[in-house]
Amino acid sequence: MQRRCLLAAALIASAGLAAAQAPLRVIAHDSFELPAPLLAQFEREAGVKLQLIKGGDAGEVLNRLILTRAKPIADVAFGIDNALLPRAEQAGVFDAYDGPAAKRPAAAPLGAGVVPVDLGYVALNVDKAWFAGKGLALPASLDDLAKPAYKNLLVVQHPGTSSPGQAFLQATIAGLGEAQAFEWWAKMRANGVKVAKGWSEAYYTDFTRNGGTRPIVVSYASSPAAEVFFSKTPLTESPTANLFLRGSVYRQVEGVALVKGGNPALRQAAGQFIEFLRSAPVQQALQTSMWMYPAEPGTPRAELLRRHAAEPARFDNPPTEPAGDTLRAWQDRWVRTVLR
Amino acid sequence: MRFALSALPLGFLLLFAAAPVARLLAEGWGTAEPGFWGLWADAYLRGRVLWSLAQAGLSAALCVLLGLPLAWVFARFEFAGRALALRALMLPFVVPTLVAAMGVLALFGPRGVLGIDGSDTPWLLVYGNVFFNLCLVVRAGVDALDQVSASRVAAARTLGATPWRAFWRVEWPAVRPWLASAACLAFLYCLSGFGLALVLGGQRWATAEVEIYTLVAHELALGQAGVLALWMLLLNGAVALAYAAIEQRLAVPARADRLPRRAARGMGERAAVAAALALLGAVAAAPLLAIVWRAAPALADGSAWRVLGEPATQLALGNTLRFTVLALALALPMGVLHAVSAQALRGWGVVWRAAAFLPFVVSPVTVAFGLLLLYPEWTASLPLLVAAYALIAYPFIAKALAAALDAVPPHLAQAAATLGASPWRVFWRVTLPQVWPALRRGTAFAAATMLGEFAVSLFLSRPEWLTLTTLIHQRLGRPGESNLQAALVLAGLLMALALLVFVLIEGRARPRPDPADHARTA
Repeated sequence: MQRRCLLAAALIASAGLAAAQAPLRVIAHDSFELPAPLLAQFEREAGVKLQLIKGGDAGEVLNRLILTRAKPIADVAFGIDNALLPRAEQAGVFDAYDGPAAKRPAAAPLGAGVVPVDLGYVALNVDKAWFAGKGLALPASLDDLAKPAYKNLLVVQHPGTSSPGQAFLQATIAGLGEAQAFEWWAKMRANGVKVAKGWSEAYYTDFTRNGGTRPIVVSYASSPAAEVFFSKTPLTESPTANLFLRGSVYRQVEGVALVKGGNPALRQAAGQFIEFLRSAPVQQALQTSMWMYPAEPGTPRAELLRRHAAEPARFDNPPTEPAGDTLRAWQDRWVRTVLR
Repeated sequence: MRFALSALPLGFLLLFAAAPVARLLAEGWGTAEPGFWGLWADAYLRGRVLWSLAQAGLSAALCVLLGLPLAWVFARFEFAGRALALRALMLPFVVPTLVAAMGVLALFGPRGVLGIDGSDTPWLLVYGNVFFNLCLVVRAGVDALDQVSASRVAAARTLGATPWRAFWRVEWPAVRPWLASAACLAFLYCLSGFGLALVLGGQRWATAEVEIYTLVAHELALGQAGVLALWMLLLNGAVALAYAAIEQRLAVPARADRLPRRAARGMGERAAVAAALALLGAVAAAPLLAIVWRAAPALADGSAWRVLGEPATQLALGNTLRFTVLALALALPMGVLHAVSAQALRGWGVVWRAAAFLPFVVSPVTVAFGLLLLYPEWTASLPLLVAAYALIAYPFIAKALAAALDAVPPHLAQAAATLGASPWRVFWRVTLPQVWPALRRGTAFAAATMLGEFAVSLFLSRPEWLTLTTLIHQRLGRPGESNLQAALVLAGLLMALALLVFVLIEGRARPRPDPADHARTA
């Protein structure tokens, strides 16, 4: 009996403790990854427990935040990028953050109150061995890709279901102009462009590097470096390479923000987490854990990225982020042009 | 009392299946662009629904067409490896959808072993569906053919009927209702399936369930998604109701004069057995072997063992087992109560039986987002995760037990009651031992399915709750050869685990199934 009482007391005490120390809830996309010791160090220094919620891809994360606006499921959100930010702002799901990290310049800007953490580029990747084996020159422009020599070589993702797909569509529109871009897509349809549902499908079932039939795939500028890192045998050279063509490179800037309506008692800790993401160790580590480029200016590039995945000199983003209606219209037009 | 029995499972279903769906529908209601009837005017959405129905119908028909001759061979002939083949037949069903889809892609994908690229054709999904559901028809067919009266077949033959005529006039009428029930179930699984359709349907052949996922998760078009979800709910519900009605009428006691199985004689019969085994291999075994084949290089060079030793794999393995056990602990009592109360509720029994399918019928995406809206403070909490898992296990248990209870002769329980046993005691001492094998089988199916559960873990996940399926998903989300290899090895591990769980819970195969333990469990 006495033992049972003790147990109950211990349970109540621990429950009380847990209530006093609510964890800092961080929602992030599935690709969020940082070394565990770094996260543990943050917990120690901030004196708060982290509760990481992985909420699907970035678009799904934002949708969850919008759906649960009335009773937010997180205090901080990581991974909202420049393409999604207009929707987030329209829905009013974030509170502006104005700590030191927000005031420091970043390698690329993001909306007010949302702190840029890293950036990446959606770009074309090619299978080097395939092109060498066929003795075919790499295309020098998107127009080349629409020529008969490059028939059935490209796989892209559906912009409606995949963020790289959406980014690539925007790059073609920004790079070629809306009218020409859709003309190009129509030509590509005739030239056998393949549409995959998402990145994994395109990369792992359609890309020749993994046994598919398409030697050109829409992926990320950092993918060739990741190929070296995740190779089964040590490599000196990546089996894939970037193909930076006009109208095929889109710059993605990912940020971290305070969720409106988050736990007020944890506002300070939430700010600390934002600062933490812009700290030197995290900016260094994210390059080879999330395969993105650091947003903090002056951060040294990881060796792998420098050697196998240099940043592109130019990119094609629309001058201002297009509103949701515009995106929807582009997407519908794309579906009519390429699929239906 | 009868209603009291159903109160708990009813509450569970309402809280974790019906309410989330209603909540999500309410969120999007009024903003619905097409409107309830407008769906049929929208060519695109109409196409999705019609394709969902068509692929389910086609798959179910193929299952019956292939399954009946297979069942006949298995029911009438004795041959080496027969019991093993019948057991292996259940493998596709216990293999997680993600793994199965990978296997099908390894065969007929762009880099398929066979060199036939079936992607972007509707056949990939139909093949996957048949791979998954063929076992339902075969098991039901074998058990039904076992019920055919030997004396009636003998009489027909004595009166000069050819074997074909004897089959057509005597065996077929006896088997028909069983096949109807199995076909109904296969149709329901194909119609409501999500994982397989997501991976195999591709862009062009996505089903309505996949469209709901896209609309909710990516486009936040809740109105449209709601209208579509509601229609699918109605269609699925109608099928489930039809199934429950057929199922309830099937309550026949076991026959005493079964046709004995005999060795295949002559060229024709031997060829039939060989053809049946070959067909089984091509449909049910090939995708599984393809996964093993593709993972083989990693097994050979030793890197597979490294993957298995990684902390992430250990964590995922531990979580997968933990969630399965926890969810079973919740789903078992609920499922048992559901089945028992379905038995007790005479008139409303059919509806209540069909309600056991509710977790299948509602789209997992709708449930996940509904749960998020309904219980935001419970997001990423263990109880909610376990409840969502238990929801998947629920129908297997409830259905297996309900079917078994039908076959229990009522006089035993009545005798026990007359002798003064309390209802609880009657259940515990008389009914339960008789339905025990069916309960075990249902539990085995539930556990194996939860191991490979994909949809829920995709939606309600925290990193420390990594499961094997989410780990596979993650590995496939990053470039690099070792990631692909790791995914294949993990898929193999999941397959082995599902099989192990199945053997552990269901036990060794009996040469002849108990009358109460027929294939209606699947």
